[in-house]
Amino acid sequence: MNVRTDRYSVIFFTLVIAIALMLVPLPSILDIMRPYWVGLVIIYWCLEAQGRISLGLAFTIGIVLDLLSASLLGMHALSLVIIVYLVTRFRARLRFFPPWQQALSVLALLMNDRIILLWIISLRGEPLPTLQFWLPPIVGTLVWPWLFLLLDRYRGALRHRVIR
Amino acid sequence: MVKTSPGTESRFFGPGGQTARLMLYGLLAVVLMAMDQRGHYVSSIRSAAGHLVEPVYHAVEWPLRAVRNFSEQFQSRRSLHQENDRLRGYILLQQAALQRLETLTEENRRLRSLFEGARGQEFEYRFAELLRVDLDPFSHRVLINRGSKDGVTRGQAVIDGDGVMGQVEEVHLHFSTVRLISDPNHALPVQISRTGLRTVAFGMGTTGYLSLPAVPREADVREGDLLVTSGLGDRFPGGYPVGRVTRINRGEGLSFAQLEAEPLAALDRGREVLLISALPNDENLAKPAAQGEVPDERINDTEGQGNAGDDSLEENSIARDGGEEVPE
Repeated sequence: MNVRTDRYSVIFFTLVIAIALMLVPLPSILDIMRPYWVGLVIIYWCLEAQGRISLGLAFTIGIVLDLLSASLLGMHALSLVIIVYLVTRFRARLRFFPPWQQALSVLALLMNDRIILLWIISLRGEPLPTLQFWLPPIVGTLVWPWLFLLLDRYRGALRHRVIR
Repeated sequence: MVKTSPGTESRFFGPGGQTARLMLYGLLAVVLMAMDQRGHYVSSIRSAAGHLVEPVYHAVEWPLRAVRNFSEQFQSRRSLHQENDRLRGYILLQQAALQRLETLTEENRRLRSLFEGARGQEFEYRFAELLRVDLDPFSHRVLINRGSKDGVTRGQAVIDGDGVMGQVEEVHLHFSTVRLISDPNHALPVQISRTGLRTVAFGMGTTGYLSLPAVPREADVREGDLLVTSGLGDRFPGGYPVGRVTRINRGEGLSFAQLEAEPLAALDRGREVLLISALPNDENLAKPAAQGEVPDERINDTEGQGNAGDDSLEENSIARDGGEEVPE
């Protein structure tokens, strides 16, 4: 029996939580290492749900995130579009990597995203950020395996409920 | 643009089509960013999105607020009493200081009237709280829980207990966005309180310091000097503390001394802020003290004082305005 657990309602639900996690107030020590939740969740769905996250959808989510976090409009849109493009491109390989190798590729994706952000920052003429700027990708990589398991669990639970 | 037919896309379009679409969306994003940076059209998108965005902020904030309310409910009587006593003592001290200040204000007004009849401005303060939402750390903005319903207007100065924080950038119904003085696009007309030297403090993109690049080399500036707003530019009322000079570089070959100042306001960790609105001068004659509640008219009047039509201009132009006021 084939139960779809990659319905858009499921995807949007996880994305809404991810967006909320990006906004939730944290003490500044945790704030500087807040992982890119939306990026991670998008990577997950790109890997697990073939073609569900189109570039257009990624762009739209990015714009929503930009409006919510009051960042430069288009910044997160660009970052998510690039992430989705890269993951879709290398999906076949990424999916069958062992977990640690997958985590490393996630690190590469997040670092790439940070480099793009750095480019935007320098174009705006802001001073270059300090070393802690590179903390979120590292934390994101550490979080990734657990997030992956959690989302898999969630989908598993969903499947069970639907069957019952 | 959002492709809704699932599963088929990558097979039908192939990597080539995907790349073209990446280019398209990338370009779109870059154009949007450039527009936002230059301040075209995007502010209207933002203000239109205000209604959509607001419930999300409340939802994000709600658990924290609930926890705080809960803990306040169960705070012990004794600790409340202690806090009460402490605050009462604090008020007494402040009142003592104010008494002196009031006579000084009166004296100041009398002296001013002796001069050219230029009367000092009267200001009204409105309390606001920061929303507990963490925005993008590179946006240099904070949210406050007062909006157009409470009579907040664009360009209003925002201070906290220690100094100037920023100015209101966008006004929504129940909340507003405040641009901090640390924003690299923000310039604040200031003067050194000890000498009266006027200059401009630019944001540097960090909350740690402001830059004052246009101070004459031979100017009398010392580390620890207090910077206050100069009141030029008509955005910020004069005389509010901004920061303290922390570093002075009069290096060889520089045509100006390079100053750095540390902001006094808690830009990145504040909780409560005050919105300042100026009472127009002629109304002061009728109503000497800041009382009465006709916020809308009064605030509109304030806006119209020096920068009629400035509303459509963006922060960039504020920066330029500020730049022109540098005394040579």
